[in-house]
Amino acid sequence: MVDHVGTVFLPGDTIHNLNKSEKTGKIIIGPGLRQESETIIVSKPGILRHKEPNIYWIDSHQKKYVPVKGEQVLGVVTAKAGDVFRVDVGGSEQATLSYLSFEGATKRNRPDVKVGDIVFARFLVANKDMEPELVCMDGAGRSSGMGVIGRDRGFMFTCSLNLIRKILSPGCVLLKTLGNGNRFEITVGMNGRVWIHGRSVVDTIMVANAISAAEFMDKDQIRAMCSKLADRFIVVE
Amino acid sequence: MRETPLTNCEKDFVKKSVAENRRIDGRQPYDTRKAKITFGVDRGSCQVQLGQTRVFAQVSCEVAEPKPSRPSDGILFVNLELSPMACPSFEAGRLSDYGVELNRLLERCLKESRCLDTESLCITTGEKVWSIRVDVHVLNHDGNIIDAASIAAISVLAHFRRPDVTVSGTEITIHPIEERDPVPLSVHHMPLCVTFAFFEQGKYLVVDPTDLEEKVMDGKMVIGMNKHREICTLQITGDIQLEKDQVLRCSNIAVVKVTEMTELIHKALDNDRQVRASGGKFGFAESISIEKVTSNQMKGSEINMEDAEEQASALVLSDQDSETPSDTIEDEETVVHVLNKGVGSIGQGGASQWTIDEEEAEKMQTEVKFKMTRTKSAHKNLPTATDGDLGDNSEEEETIVLGQDMKIISQQERQNSQKMQTKTGDVKMKKGKKYMKK
Amino acid sequence: MSNSSKRSNLRVMSAELSLLSRPDGSATLFQGDTCVMSAVYGPGEVRINKEQIDRATVEVIYKPRSGLPGCTEKSQERLIRNTCETVLLSSLHPRSSVSLTVQEMQNSGSLLACCINSMCLALLDSGMSMKCLVAAVHCVLDFEGAVFLDATDKEEKGAQACVTFVFDSVDKNVVMVHAVGKYSVEQFNKCMSVCRTASADIFHFYRETMTKKLKRS
Repeated sequence: MVDHVGTVFLPGDTIHNLNKSEKTGKIIIGPGLRQESETIIVSKPGILRHKEPNIYWIDSHQKKYVPVKGEQVLGVVTAKAGDVFRVDVGGSEQATLSYLSFEGATKRNRPDVKVGDIVFARFLVANKDMEPELVCMDGAGRSSGMGVIGRDRGFMFTCSLNLIRKILSPGCVLLKTLGNGNRFEITVGMNGRVWIHGRSVVDTIMVANAISAAEFMDKDQIRAMCSKLADRFIVVE
Repeated sequence: MRETPLTNCEKDFVKKSVAENRRIDGRQPYDTRKAKITFGVDRGSCQVQLGQTRVFAQVSCEVAEPKPSRPSDGILFVNLELSPMACPSFEAGRLSDYGVELNRLLERCLKESRCLDTESLCITTGEKVWSIRVDVHVLNHDGNIIDAASIAAISVLAHFRRPDVTVSGTEITIHPIEERDPVPLSVHHMPLCVTFAFFEQGKYLVVDPTDLEEKVMDGKMVIGMNKHREICTLQITGDIQLEKDQVLRCSNIAVVKVTEMTELIHKALDNDRQVRASGGKFGFAESISIEKVTSNQMKGSEINMEDAEEQASALVLSDQDSETPSDTIEDEETVVHVLNKGVGSIGQGGASQWTIDEEEAEKMQTEVKFKMTRTKSAHKNLPTATDGDLGDNSEEEETIVLGQDMKIISQQERQNSQKMQTKTGDVKMKKGKKYMKK
Repeated sequence: MSNSSKRSNLRVMSAELSLLSRPDGSATLFQGDTCVMSAVYGPGEVRINKEQIDRATVEVIYKPRSGLPGCTEKSQERLIRNTCETVLLSSLHPRSSVSLTVQEMQNSGSLLACCINSMCLALLDSGMSMKCLVAAVHCVLDFEGAVFLDATDKEEKGAQACVTFVFDSVDKNVVMVHAVGKYSVEQFNKCMSVCRTASADIFHFYRETMTKKLKRS
């Protein structure tokens, strides 16, 4: 039974008849769902989503970020404390970032990170009972795009977590259409922060506003907005 | 809670864009954000939105003794609250330095400019005057609180009506609103604040800064002015030195802004007056549905739940033969006899007092039975849950525990309950007497 | 029944969600002319002295329209906090704080009920994890024993008793009761049954409001 999928559920609702895996007879439940003995209860308001064959989760609308292991976020360095930097990621606690977890960093060769810098990093530890920890390296010791970004350039703004998931989803046309005929750099953190650098101040502002405006738009509306903006870009030049 | 820290990147970008005469929300340097004023159903309450900044103001009045130094002047009290709702770094109850600064500024703007005729608030000299209190609550902080607060405070004073008073000899009568039309306060003029934020040592300036611009700016100047071009207050704070013509230029801009804003306030007041006179709908609720037409997409729906009368009768019916078996209800009634005396004194909330308490000792056993039957019936009602599910956290467990406890202390409790009964009896007697006096 | 209920419908309810840009969740709720605005921040940083090792600390601040909060307001604040703690899954966010501000904007009766309902809407808006929803219904008993559902302030003044019930959305059990005045057990039961039925309307309203909001995104 998949006909619940796509409908809005509120906390306390019970969901029945979910598809079980044929092999194991199990259901995998994601965020917003919890199990209480034999029943599955919704704990967050949102739309039920399904992924074949047996994965279910609730797509909720939220502003506040809760760290998740493996997610890439944009953090703000708030302090240097001995061997680690303290980084604000928008969660309930500040994350730590060791100065050794940058590409090529050694005890002698410290990375150049200042208080107030933006770092793009991945969660190594994210657990409700432990202090979250960030790294700016992948498993092979490479930066793969992470590290300090946007020093002296660009602009960072915040939006809802929903919008972040929307613009990062493969089906979303926003970034592709915005990128037509207009060059800009963008970094999107799962914690609801977006960093943008356009060719000029006006471009940057315009892209930032376009992204925030896309929150409640569907594909066609986004296309219409982008084509309108494209005219503006030319005018500015 | 801490606020999100400001990054160097944002700081640089704001400075850069100001230097290019651009602002992040698309405004020109001298543009103010769109203001919106809505009045409440009660006289003397209003909400002001300045972009995303939102404040709520409320006026209240009472009869008080005048200050000895000014025996024939009414009292105006202004209070600006930085509610923790507005920004996570604002704390309830504690006034921060920022809070004190804004509070003083608003107070100065309203009181020192003598916009309110305090002499007309006098009832009898040296004895009774009206004390008017203005509470301004900041609901959402997106910069420039003081401008929004000053708009709200003066609009709400102009909107407020106080009860009429007649003095004959030594007798003072305050007429309730139903009896006699309330009187407006006499507002001489409307002082409004305009804020200018300065960047790069006063090289660049913007009007009506947002929160981000306020965090980045070097300093600011607030001009309080009325539409007659009279400056009521002027404050320069921060790390800036301004030249004479800069101040003059700002005051010229302020004149324009204040005139516009005063017009807007008058328009809002006029609208409100017309709607009230024509018997139309007014208040905050109406402002929402108007906004809905302008397709704000995150709006909740408005539903009208006019249940039919049948539902009432159905209710009463269902009350009669409710889900719980009728004999358990009788059980309760027998309980009532014990509880009876306490019932009148079930009072104003507070924490749950439902520990195992005095009078309950005797009827506890029966009540346990009652609860048991109830949980069972609940089981039946739930189509989905099996018995095992609820077992984890249902009342059943609790009630059993209660029952055991009760057996142990029931002897004591019984004695206590007798004491209690006599006590409550006394209280009742006293209450009765009071009634007689009245 | 000689003393049938006088008004059996709730007043018009209207709500606006996410109207404040700063908080993580916010809602204004109108029940008739009564208006309450609520905002939620959280789960966020907690002060060390309030830290709880196994769950989030729930803080509720109730702000009256004018003047400083007194004893009644503090008790109201407590009632709201207790209800809020009941529904929140606070164990998911240990050592953090959930802070709720409830601002009274207009009181035309049933204020406490409106506060709790708007709190619930703000929590829904914030997407916080909850066990279930709550709906508060207020009613008054006049001296003839008639029940006025969702009473106005005038009706409250001429009442023998004012009762506010809070029900949960799953089993429709009572989460909180707040009563002032004198009434018999039969009357109390009657009020409870009337209010329980009315609570269904409020839950329906929540669902409709949230569906409207979420379907768009």
